[in-house]
Amino acid sequence: MGKELVATAAEANAKSLPECINSSNPFHECSDYCIRKIAEARQRLDDEVPDSSKRPPEERTLHPDCINASNPYHDCSEYCFKRIADAKAGSFCSIDFIVELPYHVLSLYVVTGSERAQKEDAGKSHVAEQQSEENEAGKQEDAAGVDDGYPQMTEKQRKLFELQLKMNEARKANQQAMVAEKKRMEPRGESRGVSKQKWLEDRKKKIGKLLDSNGLDMSKAYMLDTQETAEVKYKKWEKEPAPHGWDVFNQKTLYDAYKKRTKNIEVDMEAYNKAKESDPEFYRDASSLQYGKVSKVPEENIDKMVKELKDREAKRQSFSRRRKFNEDKDIDSINDRNEHFNKKIERAFGKYTLEIKNNLERGTALPD
Amino acid sequence: MAVATPRRVGGVVEAASDPSLSALTEARLPRVTRVKNKSPAEVQITAEQIIREARERREPEHPRGPARKIAGADELAEYRLGERKKFEDAVRRAASCGSPSAWVRYAEWEERQGDLHRARSVYERALSSSAAAQRGHTLWVRYAEFEMRSRCVSHARNVWNRAVALLPRVDQLWLKYVHMEETLGAVANARQVFDRWMAWRPGAAGWSTYAKFELRYGEVDHARAVYERFVTEHPHPEAFIRYAKFEAKRGEVERARGGRSRGRR
Repeated sequence: MGKELVATAAEANAKSLPECINSSNPFHECSDYCIRKIAEARQRLDDEVPDSSKRPPEERTLHPDCINASNPYHDCSEYCFKRIADAKAGSFCSIDFIVELPYHVLSLYVVTGSERAQKEDAGKSHVAEQQSEENEAGKQEDAAGVDDGYPQMTEKQRKLFELQLKMNEARKANQQAMVAEKKRMEPRGESRGVSKQKWLEDRKKKIGKLLDSNGLDMSKAYMLDTQETAEVKYKKWEKEPAPHGWDVFNQKTLYDAYKKRTKNIEVDMEAYNKAKESDPEFYRDASSLQYGKVSKVPEENIDKMVKELKDREAKRQSFSRRRKFNEDKDIDSINDRNEHFNKKIERAFGKYTLEIKNNLERGTALPD
Repeated sequence: MAVATPRRVGGVVEAASDPSLSALTEARLPRVTRVKNKSPAEVQITAEQIIREARERREPEHPRGPARKIAGADELAEYRLGERKKFEDAVRRAASCGSPSAWVRYAEWEERQGDLHRARSVYERALSSSAAAQRGHTLWVRYAEFEMRSRCVSHARNVWNRAVALLPRVDQLWLKYVHMEETLGAVANARQVFDRWMAWRPGAAGWSTYAKFELRYGEVDHARAVYERFVTEHPHPEAFIRYAKFEAKRGEVERARGGRSRGRR
């Protein structure tokens, strides 16, 4: 589908002149009106700025996909190429449909004055063939697109560029982590009764733009999921809810815990085989009397057993973690025991008494 | 922080009504008066204010006594005596309810003091006295784990034996028993215990544990025999499916098919 869109976009943009102010719009078709406006702009420039040094340079390096194409003073630099290549590589179905213009058309508008422009032309015409092939073949490899995004870079420059990309990603990740930590550290606001609204707003903010660009509604927000996230969701639905409360140690969970412990058993096949040979009644059944006989257990096995018990106990300590103390919360207890009790009761009845509490705070009940 | 004194709304208990004593109780307490001014006081107090004040004025909780330094065997014996008395009281109080936590705490203190005999006796008393022994498996598990921690293997085996004889339907006891034998490397013992367990026909979990145990030591034939027993004693479709899955995993597709066809019958 992307190919057709691209094709139609290419068709649509066949007439977009770089000097037109709408050139950054991929769907724009320059008409007579546009040509007239361009001429007028040029006239105006000539009138206002007779000094040729201040005019927008007629020779400029221009990539047609650059979003700043309509700015007459803009010179496409490596950054621009980078961005364009990213856009091409990263988004199949994003809003900025990639325009695959045949380069040789554009070279008409790039005045070949400077060496750089010449090189670019050469590079572009070479790339144009590649590009047209690519167009026909369809967008298969993202990587090829990336390479074509900056035709001037050597190996070293490309490596450097990739490193820079990685650094940018790292910086972004760091910033996100910083923001998340700040949110965690500072005192959380009053969360009684406002949660659902706020969560909805947050979500809307986060994906609103993406939704709108695809023409989606909030109710169809699931359309934005990738396959991986969708699979994760399905898995979560299929999972049984974990038991809580008095049921935490039911038969099944204890069995699962045992299964986990069996993974740590070290199977000592030698000792096993030795024992098999020495003991006549190795495969005994329930009624065997061998059990009563005292068998010598080597010390190290006992050590293993004791160690395992101690490990289990240590793990049990970390079963429940200590929560952060929220100082800004309202005090509704006179005591530490009272506080503990209030926490427990809030856990059990909080969601049922939420409305009542809010009404009391407000002073009046809402007319619902 | 101005707090308005609430208007007096109630009086206090009346004086003795007996006339002979009236001479003694001369100071008559005021009678209940009716509220004359019903308008609200100038300064009101809110519930939150009261709570905050109460919280600020509370006394420190559980003021611990001064740290006690024990120097010498006599003082140690005294300390232990005191602690034991406390524990015995707690245990007597807890005897009415079914939870064994008081017993367990007592026994674990004795264990920490290093007195294994006493700890053992506490556990035995707990088992014999309260209903906790019959009701739940926690006491048995604690007792056995105490023996295991103290490296007394035969004692531990004894405890597990008794536990499993009394509460054969509690899977956890069997599982822990078998796990102990396996960790100790006494595989033949473990096998015997498994056999005893299977006599009680546990669910699919128990049978598959047995089969997995056999597979861990590479005894494929025995595992197969286990599954055969499983399938004959539990002619449920689930059993057949598990058997077939086991065979399929081993790559014996023929047997798996045979198993499935039997199940269909």
